[in-house]
Amino acid sequence: MAEIYKMHGIKKILYEFKLQFVITIIFLLIWLAFYLLNPPAFSNPFTYTSIMGVVPFTIIPAISLTLVIIAGEIDLSFASVMALGPLVMALTWQAFGEPTPLGILLGLLAGLGAGLLNGILITKLGIPSLIATIGTLFLWRGVVLVVTEGFSIPLGEFRNTLIYSIFVGRVFGIPVQFFWAIVLAIIFWIILNRHKFGAYIYYIGDNRTAARMVGINVDRVLITVYAIHGMVAAFAGILDSLEMATFWPALGDIYMLKSIASVVIGGTPVTGGVGTIYGTFLGGMILGFIEMGVLASGVSGFWIRLVHGVVIIIALAAQGIIRKGELAKIRIMRLLTT
Amino acid sequence: MPEKNIVEMHNIVKKFGAVVALKGVDFYVRENEIVGLVGDNGAGKSTLVKILFGIHASDEGEIIIKGKKYKRLTPKKAYELGIVLIHQERTLCENHPIWRNVFMGRELTNRFGFLKIKEMKELAYKSLAALELTKMPVDTPVKYLSGGYKQGVQISRAFTFEADLVILDEPTVALSLAEVQKVLDYVRELKRKGKSAIFISHNIYHVYPVVDRFVILNRGEVVAEFYKKDLTPEDLSEIMISIARTGKVPKEYEELNLYKKASPQSAS
Ligand SMILES: Nc1ncnc2c1ncn2[C@@H]1O[C@H](COP(=O)(O)OP(=O)(O)O)[C@@H](O)[C@H]1O
Ligand SMILES: [Mg+2]
Repeated sequence: MAEIYKMHGIKKILYEFKLQFVITIIFLLIWLAFYLLNPPAFSNPFTYTSIMGVVPFTIIPAISLTLVIIAGEIDLSFASVMALGPLVMALTWQAFGEPTPLGILLGLLAGLGAGLLNGILITKLGIPSLIATIGTLFLWRGVVLVVTEGFSIPLGEFRNTLIYSIFVGRVFGIPVQFFWAIVLAIIFWIILNRHKFGAYIYYIGDNRTAARMVGINVDRVLITVYAIHGMVAAFAGILDSLEMATFWPALGDIYMLKSIASVVIGGTPVTGGVGTIYGTFLGGMILGFIEMGVLASGVSGFWIRLVHGVVIIIALAAQGIIRKGELAKIRIMRLLTT
Repeated sequence: MPEKNIVEMHNIVKKFGAVVALKGVDFYVRENEIVGLVGDNGAGKSTLVKILFGIHASDEGEIIIKGKKYKRLTPKKAYELGIVLIHQERTLCENHPIWRNVFMGRELTNRFGFLKIKEMKELAYKSLAALELTKMPVDTPVKYLSGGYKQGVQISRAFTFEADLVILDEPTVALSLAEVQKVLDYVRELKRKGKSAIFISHNIYHVYPVVDRFVILNRGEVVAEFYKKDLTPEDLSEIMISIARTGKVPKEYEELNLYKKASPQSAS
């Protein structure tokens, strides 16, 4: 027992990454279940490219949200920031009459600004993040509604331009936004696991007082995390508006709970200190597979929520069991290291 | 023996709301000197060293480190000046491996901030080996360790860092006798290498063997300072009891008390 951390190879990997292992199994089981329910649909590449076309809008904001949650905080406002970013872009494009990269840049900056505001409210004014981001959730959605007066902004005229293909084109039939999700996942994995900044995010979530006492600038790290998250959310919103070739004022609303669910299914607990990008990515994939699977199996779309709910609960139950087992192990190991 | 002060703190006042934790403390550490900072619970020992390390800002007073004056330090600045503080409180991240905890806040990185993981693991292993804590691989999350082992991980932070002034705040509390000896050996090693240290402890028998000078803090004030060579542990024990009871040093020891004879400023 005391030798758990002296294990090698497969055994050690299974032990250390058991949460990821479990989430992978759940993902494969769901895949198998839908395949058995409807083999033709799940043998058809089109099904998969359809999933890849839509999951990035859930997964991309969930990736940066993972950082926020690892740091022991939460953000709800990203759902509105997902509309703020593309709104700024759409207005810029309208003003210029062409899809200028400046529009994208300004859209991302708007997201960055929204994130900075969250970070400052939470750290400098000490407002709990749940409350602060409910405030900014309303604020930015309100701004979007007032500016658009509730109307959509068509972007169809800008289709078939380079900028479209870069963000939401198709490569060998695969939606480019899925590659963006993978690239962002890799970048954020590297930040979290190989960079000082990622280490600080984990420490702040694990033991904030300790982080302060060893000299980590907690406020600055948190503000940066929120700023990054705001920018990434704006980016996801921009992708969605491009994919749909329109900006609509409710953009982002449906992703709030799905992105949070992706993080949580993926094994990042809301208590902070631990969590993985891999889990979040698969969490998002699971939700996407369920949506497509339910539709493909021919039953009513109303089933989607129900199946989502069941899977979320199963994933959380599995995590709960694993963590309980760990507590027992901790007690034994502590005795053995005395 | 060199007579230069590596650190001087003048008239340090610190209030926490209505609580006055430090009431104008003068304190100094000489180059290559080991100072034992002792005193009852709540005397203000931890607060004093936290101000020196930049965790708290003092309300009044000034700090001089290596001849330069500072109004407000930060831990980052303190590290740069060669000061390391091992906290009395547990400052560990339980879910993270030993090696990350050893380097927490002071990671070895390349110039882009990417972690030098292999180097940190090796150095962490060496530092823990100095305390004979090699039972568990450095990949082990800290939550699996016993209290004493955790304390060892925390202390080993000082070992990875060539500090000029090491501050140990009650480092021996959770340790076994053998582990206490390792910590004392480490402090002796600092002395041999020409470094300085502040050793805070409740247990004067732990401090006594390694220090050069004692500073006794009582209710936010320095009440006495003695050279170790002037006292036996029993003398010190008697003095401490008297201070706890009456706030005063017994008369027969008063002439050995450096604090009344010479203010720290003139000692420099
Ligand atoms: N962060 C803090 N907030 C409020 N009061 C504090 C804080 N830190 C210390 N104190 C108070 O300051 C006094 C000195 O505490 P401390 O420096 O921890 O003493 P010691 O280390 O000598 O036991 C105590 O009365 C303590 O309650
Ligand atoms: Mg203390």
